[in-house]
Amino acid sequence: MREQLEQLKNEALLSVNAAGQIEQLQEIRVRLLGRKGELTALMKGLGALSAEERPVVGQLVNSVRDEIESALESASAMARERAKTERLQSERIDVTLPGRCTSTGTKHPVSLVIEEVCDIFAGLGFSVAEGPEIEHDWYNFEALNFPPEHPARDMQDTFFVENNLLLRTHTSPVQIRTMLKQKPPLRIIAPGTVYRCDSDATHSPMFHQIEGLMVDTGITFGDLKGILTVFTNQLFGQKTGVRLRPSFFPFTEPSAEVDIACVICGGQGCRVCKNSGWLEILGAGMVDPEVYRHVNYDAENISGFAFGMGIERIAMLKYGISDMRLLFENDVRFLRQF
Amino acid sequence: MNVTYNWLKEFVDFDLSPDQLADLLTMLGLEVEAMEKLGEGLDDVVVARVEEKRQHPNADKLSLCRVNNGKEILDVVCGAQNFKEGDTVVLAQIGATLPGDFKIKKSKIRGEESSGMLCSEKELGLADESAGIMVLPGNTHTLGTPVFTALGLKDTLFEIGLTPNRADCLSVVGIAREIAAKLGLQVRYPQPVVAENSDTVQSRINVVVEDPDLCPRYAARYISGCTIAPSPDWLVKKLAAIGIRSINNVVDITNFVMMELGQPLHAFDCDRLAEKRIVVRRAGEGELFTTLDSQQRILTSADLVICDAARPVALAGIMGGQNSEIEDSTVSILLESACFKPAAVRKTSKRLGLHTESSHRFERGIDIGGVVRALDRAAALIIELAGGVSARGVLDACSAVSEPPAIRFRPEKANSLIGIDLPREEIIQILKRLECQVTEIQDGSLDVAPPSYRVDIEREIDLVEEIARLNGFDKIPATLPIARIASDRPSRHQQLEKIVRNILVDHGMNEIINFSFTDPGAAGKLMLAADDPRHAAIKLCNPLVDEQSVMRTSLLPGLLETVARNINFRSLDLKLFEMRRVYLPVDGENMPHEPLYIVGALCGSRDGDVWNRPNELIDFYDAKGVVESLLGILAVGGVTWLSEGVDAYYHPGKSCRVMVGREQIGSVGELHPTVQENFGIEKPVFCFELDFEKLVKLSRSKRTITAPSRFPDSTRDIALLAADDLQSEAVLACVRSVKAKEIEHIQIFDVYKGKGIPEGYKSIAIRIRYRSYERTLNDEEISALHKKVTDSLINKLDVSLR
Repeated sequence: MREQLEQLKNEALLSVNAAGQIEQLQEIRVRLLGRKGELTALMKGLGALSAEERPVVGQLVNSVRDEIESALESASAMARERAKTERLQSERIDVTLPGRCTSTGTKHPVSLVIEEVCDIFAGLGFSVAEGPEIEHDWYNFEALNFPPEHPARDMQDTFFVENNLLLRTHTSPVQIRTMLKQKPPLRIIAPGTVYRCDSDATHSPMFHQIEGLMVDTGITFGDLKGILTVFTNQLFGQKTGVRLRPSFFPFTEPSAEVDIACVICGGQGCRVCKNSGWLEILGAGMVDPEVYRHVNYDAENISGFAFGMGIERIAMLKYGISDMRLLFENDVRFLRQF
Repeated sequence: MNVTYNWLKEFVDFDLSPDQLADLLTMLGLEVEAMEKLGEGLDDVVVARVEEKRQHPNADKLSLCRVNNGKEILDVVCGAQNFKEGDTVVLAQIGATLPGDFKIKKSKIRGEESSGMLCSEKELGLADESAGIMVLPGNTHTLGTPVFTALGLKDTLFEIGLTPNRADCLSVVGIAREIAAKLGLQVRYPQPVVAENSDTVQSRINVVVEDPDLCPRYAARYISGCTIAPSPDWLVKKLAAIGIRSINNVVDITNFVMMELGQPLHAFDCDRLAEKRIVVRRAGEGELFTTLDSQQRILTSADLVICDAARPVALAGIMGGQNSEIEDSTVSILLESACFKPAAVRKTSKRLGLHTESSHRFERGIDIGGVVRALDRAAALIIELAGGVSARGVLDACSAVSEPPAIRFRPEKANSLIGIDLPREEIIQILKRLECQVTEIQDGSLDVAPPSYRVDIEREIDLVEEIARLNGFDKIPATLPIARIASDRPSRHQQLEKIVRNILVDHGMNEIINFSFTDPGAAGKLMLAADDPRHAAIKLCNPLVDEQSVMRTSLLPGLLETVARNINFRSLDLKLFEMRRVYLPVDGENMPHEPLYIVGALCGSRDGDVWNRPNELIDFYDAKGVVESLLGILAVGGVTWLSEGVDAYYHPGKSCRVMVGREQIGSVGELHPTVQENFGIEKPVFCFELDFEKLVKLSRSKRTITAPSRFPDSTRDIALLAADDLQSEAVLACVRSVKAKEIEHIQIFDVYKGKGIPEGYKSIAIRIRYRSYERTLNDEEISALHKKVTDSLINKLDVSLR
């Protein structure tokens, strides 16, 4: 019996060593250690042994069993490792093929700029206000100090509609609507669609503006300059130069045009800035006392500023778009780039 | 307003280069929009003398010249005939570049060498047309001198974009005044001396202003013995430099003085004025008048006319009449210098569509105090250039020009509003440089009387602006305001607008923006019912084009046009959306309603023709899926999909209304093939429309979240055979009606028609997941529940188990 066990063990270890695959090892395990396996069969013969011999041989059987099992275990582990290595070596895909994912869409550049500008001003404590696009003359012009028959009205070619209404020519009427509803302090930003009766390569009959208004006590023109500097630096980059120069709007005084150092050439002079090094992006000024009179604010005790900018102009500068018409052609080959 | 550097120098001695001047003007609010340096880069175009001229051997019309440029004699071929040997001419030497990027190179013309070109005025950009080359009179010019230097033409033209408030800068002197004020210099105003005879002006002409409300001042002189002739060269050139065409000496002088001083003037042929009499009055209703441009105008009683004793002779402040214009035979002149009411001039000019240099200035307001000075300046020039003499004195009707009241001005108010700290003395200095009269008041404020030409300065704030402007905007420190914290956050409407846009983009859709105005035929293309309110679009009174003449009542036409345009460009797979306003008239209200709508269109293949997915075409369920996702994220509850009563622009069998209760919030469907054709689209398009305002109202901001069960689930499937028209919603509703809380999830996982299913029937496979929150369900419990579900389906619906 001892010899039988010894022989079984040696044969077993030999075949374990010879086996290369998990399946073969599994077979060996069943053949030797299974319910009907050879070692199991030998163990059944233990009963025929004497009481003295039984524990000794029993121990031997157990040690043979342990040895085979541990040999099987380590051989299996090696085989699994080998199989894994083989799999890793053989499996190869083309990682440059496109992935499986529904491509996301895009927001219109005008929406993108409106969101970005509103976000910047939200950070400065401005909240968003809105108003109708079909407006009364009073909100669009008169309350903003454009008297009837005033040449300043020529600055804004107007579309008129029935019932003495018009398509707002700027987002400034939102200032009036807000001030009539709220008392200072006031900090609003009003994005919206506006219309002018004008169409060529640089003018679209419909475009977008963002209006800003801050009214409180002790607000200065210097504050306007500060806010606009912070804004332009956030929108176009930290070191964008800003220049205010005198201008005229009926609803602000003093009024300014706001230029930024040309973002295309960095102020050296190029075609986009007409060699001036500056790009006009904003109109601004201190709210005119006449406007306060129309909304029943006391111009002696409060002050404030307003500013307005064209969204398309900013979008064109930010994205290097040379023709405004591209923005309203809605060609997906254009839109998908945003 | 165009002005030249040299002309400005006549009035103020500034020490600035043209570039520095441009910068100074821009920073004063007189924006230099363009600069043209006359003669720049033309230094190789020089004065030269023709030493010898002979016939070109190979060309009849060409001559061979030997030309002296002061350094050497050059051979030049020339095609002009208007010169002879010994003439001083203009030579563009090799290397010169003429206007229009025309480079002069050494060349051979018909076999003869030519080392340069003799130039005409046109070629130098000095005239629109020229008959031959430029021949300089006399021989006083040094040969070889650049011709622009020799002729004193080196100059810079500034195009200044003036804001409508700066009427005072519509003249060379006006701009010179600004330069002087900024630099602290003096302006040299013209000091005209008019040669007069002993006749009084009253004895020669007569002026009556019947409507002084529209004509606050009317001044006139009578000049006799004039000779109408072409203007001298200096006057022609000066006007040409700023873009004004020469007519004759007298008319040119009126234009010249208008450009110099800003006062529009008019010269009448006095012998053609009935009774040599001027009457300023409102026109009669329907009165006819032919202006200088040969147009007959029909006037109204709002128009102011200048008449003689019998008829109108000029449209006040806008344009003269043919019946009294200066002609070659004119000898006596009535010269008018007046001030008309801005609003009246504007109204007439606008109504007649007649905008002139004169009306432009009157509309903005001219210097009522400078009326007589301009009259005298022009009279003196006429006598100088056209001869004659003026009658004694000026007829100055309505001369009682009232001084405007002084403005009370607080220097500290200027400082606090601008955010600077300018000493009082400096502020007073600035005001004085602007020619304001400043009187100090005891309380520390100032009484400031602006000069009469500053019609824009009426209030304290106007003076504050002047202080900021003259001191320099660049000197104002940038500060950040100290403000109270506000508790505003975006409204629900604003938040949801952003969320919706994000969801649609996440679904692969591209946002478009179309014009808000559309074609009046748009509603017809959609096959809307005759009584559909979307026919009632708001009309523009002055549209640019008919296709953009009404405000849209639906976003669909614009969207579909965009789809068609993109397909034309071979972009076939489209997922587009627009979220914008529509404009709906409201009964009994002046203002229309402007609700925000969302529309989407999908067509072509779902994922494009990609390698790792079957190429499937978009269908109804793609469009519906986007809507479902949107409604899900906005937490709009109780949504049903109703296939009845859908708009006619949808395919009746493949569309539905999106309902919440009895209210329609939108629709989804395949576009009706006729509508598709109306928009020129050849392939099926799937659209959706949602009323964003209703979504905002229905969107629940609060959500109830339940903790998941910790017990295992069990799923059971049922396959039903049902009639083709049974809607799956009925099956789901039937399962839900069992109301067992253990039913965790119901899902339709297959709908099948075809082999093995009888015609007119379909197989619907549903999967139900059972799970309890309290314990693990055993097999018997699940089977009992499932039987309840199966029984309910079979009993309530016309279906059988498969």
